[in-house]
Amino acid sequence: MRKMLSFFIVFFLLPFFTAYAEDLIIAWPVNAGPLNPHTYAPNQMYAQVLVYDALVRYGANGVIEPSLAESWSVSDDGRIYSFRMRKNARFSDGTPVNAEAVVMNFDAVMSNKARHAWVGLTEKIDSYRAAGSDTFVLILKSPYAAALEELSLPRPFRILAPSGFDSVSTYKGIKKPVGSGPWKIEESRLGEYDIFARNEFYWGEKPAFDRLIVKVLPDPNSRVLALETGAVDMLIGEGVISLENFVRLGKNDKFEAVKSGPQQSNVIVINAGADKLTGDKAVRKALLHAVNRQVVVKGVLLDVEAPAETLFRPGLKFCGTKLEPYGFDPALSEKLLDEAGWKKDGNIRKKNGRPLEISLYYIGTDPRQKAVGEVIQGDLAKIGVKLLLKAQEEVSFYQAQKTGAFDLIFNSTWGAPFDPHSFLSSMRASSHADYAAQKDLPEKAAVDKAINSILGTSDETALKKYYDYVLTALHESGVYMPISYGVNTAVYNKSRVAGFTFGEMKTEFMFHKMKPAEVK
Amino acid sequence: MAYFIIKRLLLLIPILLAVSFIVFFLLRFGPVDPAYAYLTQSQIPPTEEALAQTRIELGLDRPFPEQYLSWLKKAVTMDFGISYVTKRPVLDDVLYYLPVTLKLTGLSMLFIVFFSVPLGVYSALHRDGPWDRGLSLLSFAGVSFPSFWLGFLLIYVLSLKLGWLAPFGISSPSGYVMPVLTLSFMSFAINMRLTRTSVLEHMGARSVVYARARGLSERNVIGKHVLKNSMIPIVTSLGMHFGELLGGAVIVETLFALPGLGRYAVGSIYSHDYPVIQCFMLLMTAVFILVNLAADIIYAWLNPKIRYGEAG
Repeated sequence: MRKMLSFFIVFFLLPFFTAYAEDLIIAWPVNAGPLNPHTYAPNQMYAQVLVYDALVRYGANGVIEPSLAESWSVSDDGRIYSFRMRKNARFSDGTPVNAEAVVMNFDAVMSNKARHAWVGLTEKIDSYRAAGSDTFVLILKSPYAAALEELSLPRPFRILAPSGFDSVSTYKGIKKPVGSGPWKIEESRLGEYDIFARNEFYWGEKPAFDRLIVKVLPDPNSRVLALETGAVDMLIGEGVISLENFVRLGKNDKFEAVKSGPQQSNVIVINAGADKLTGDKAVRKALLHAVNRQVVVKGVLLDVEAPAETLFRPGLKFCGTKLEPYGFDPALSEKLLDEAGWKKDGNIRKKNGRPLEISLYYIGTDPRQKAVGEVIQGDLAKIGVKLLLKAQEEVSFYQAQKTGAFDLIFNSTWGAPFDPHSFLSSMRASSHADYAAQKDLPEKAAVDKAINSILGTSDETALKKYYDYVLTALHESGVYMPISYGVNTAVYNKSRVAGFTFGEMKTEFMFHKMKPAEVK
Repeated sequence: MAYFIIKRLLLLIPILLAVSFIVFFLLRFGPVDPAYAYLTQSQIPPTEEALAQTRIELGLDRPFPEQYLSWLKKAVTMDFGISYVTKRPVLDDVLYYLPVTLKLTGLSMLFIVFFSVPLGVYSALHRDGPWDRGLSLLSFAGVSFPSFWLGFLLIYVLSLKLGWLAPFGISSPSGYVMPVLTLSFMSFAINMRLTRTSVLEHMGARSVVYARARGLSERNVIGKHVLKNSMIPIVTSLGMHFGELLGGAVIVETLFALPGLGRYAVGSIYSHDYPVIQCFMLLMTAVFILVNLAADIIYAWLNPKIRYGEAG
């Protein structure tokens, strides 16, 4: 009997005691991936940021901070950047981080340039070289305002140790993931977990936790149960915890629910395509005035996110342009539609016998988009517009964004450090909803020209002027219906974690700044 | 018998060929562009240039028959290509995830056989008694509870409230307790009910009346004449339940965060990971055919009167 009892204890209760006080356990829907700093999925951005450093870091309020580069200078013509390398920086295998290593990484990125075409900087780079071991020089073809921001991205400009390279190019894979970030990968089991250990060579303040265990939990409800049962200590990141659970756990004394400052803007894009009913500016403006976003934010977003009035939040660098918000004014909407010839016929408006019936595309498995859509559907019905909610599966949804099949569609800006430069840059090519919706606007050519000018200068006064023009033109065109400014959310177990802080980017998690709760 | 088995195994070839063609055809002519799916899954903005480059990389620029034949040629050598999402060889991924699913469905099958059959027989032998009524109630519950709900309920009670079992992970054997209960409960309930009905049916059969008239002991009557004959429909049912378990494994694996094939396949379907979907469909077709074949062989063993391959 005693034997049986000890068997029971070992096999059934052991899992509860395997977590050490020095481990921080979180959950993520998928594995971290092969941790190649220069490529995309299945590499998870959060993990690339944990393991690898960039030359510079995107800091609070968009101020660029030193990282692997201790300091830098820019030539007067804005073309030549000289980065002075941090002296005490080492990779997790103990080898020094120097300018030669940076050159190897730039070689790898530029050898796969086509894949990184969306990063404006890759087009602007003329050459780069190491001036001795402690200085890295980057020469651009022409000035580029977003150069430092794009160097701070989670990928592709992060620095892999020379010992991690298989060949000059990393496109096909790397030998081993060796970085200089606060964490290094220790163990990985596909579909089960990734374990990161403290990088003892980290140049900054070393993590207080010995290990970071990331359990793979794809189901959102399972993640919440894992937190409540104590199987994980923290849930953090976009989409990792639902708003309902965030609010519910916030009321529980055991947990702390925290949200970051505004990150990306969540908007609905209104297609101004010539073949669409929404191609008529009066219709777009009528829609913008008809939606009560206060109700959306309170009822669906549970006041976790703040209502948005402009495409980019005014606090963002260069985005302080004074714009008149589209206030909630159904009477004005009705007037605009009447004037445009859309007359009420029963419950729905018609023009030349054609009913004012438009579609909103959303991701069918996203309950939040569906709920927001339903509120808007109700608001629009009141002014005689029939809104059809069209559920899409995810890939079809993004394909519709590109092809412009939609009248209305959900979209988000990319958050820091992509907003506003890189996001504006992406509007010029046919790949997202922005291009599809804007392409038939009479002012499209001028907007694109101004965006080109923005990307080709580093003169702040000129930048401000072009931004004012672009932001005003896009706002007035009525292509964007801003809904809310999204936030990053986290819920953690107070008895396990102390010193919680958010990073600046959505995918930058500051686990190295957090401490076990006992060591307060 | 051997002739029958060989014939059935040979039939596998045209069936797999047909399935592979249909799946390949449907995926290529569906509303979603595979190149677009690939870029979305790789988190690369789908510009025209990127799409064109991807079409060439994936061979999507070639005519359909050529694409299919080149895929088939590789598939015959067990090369199913590279997953769009994980960027690993599909076969490696499938072989990595398959054991957990087989363990899960295998354990569930054992649970079903070991509990549903004896309890069903007991129910039938004690018809309308308190045990029979209690077990009937249990079967109604079994067919009425959706498995995801039962799974959450188990986690809520056994992990959150009582703290007896770890909610996730299979680092210890106890990790399989809740998943197996969740996965097998419905099939267990149906099978228990079926066993009861089948046994009751055979209790009234002529052979049983004769056996009793011959003065055989009750144990002999039940064991030889009732049980063996009533097992035939149960074997059919178990064969079908195996498919149901494989399907149900998808939900259970997601719920309990088990690194199994079901979860992997569903993720692939959501993300239009065509190489994985093609491989998964072929594997499932083969599994279904083999399980049905196994059921047919057990039939023949239970009832030698069924002579395969000679009747028609």
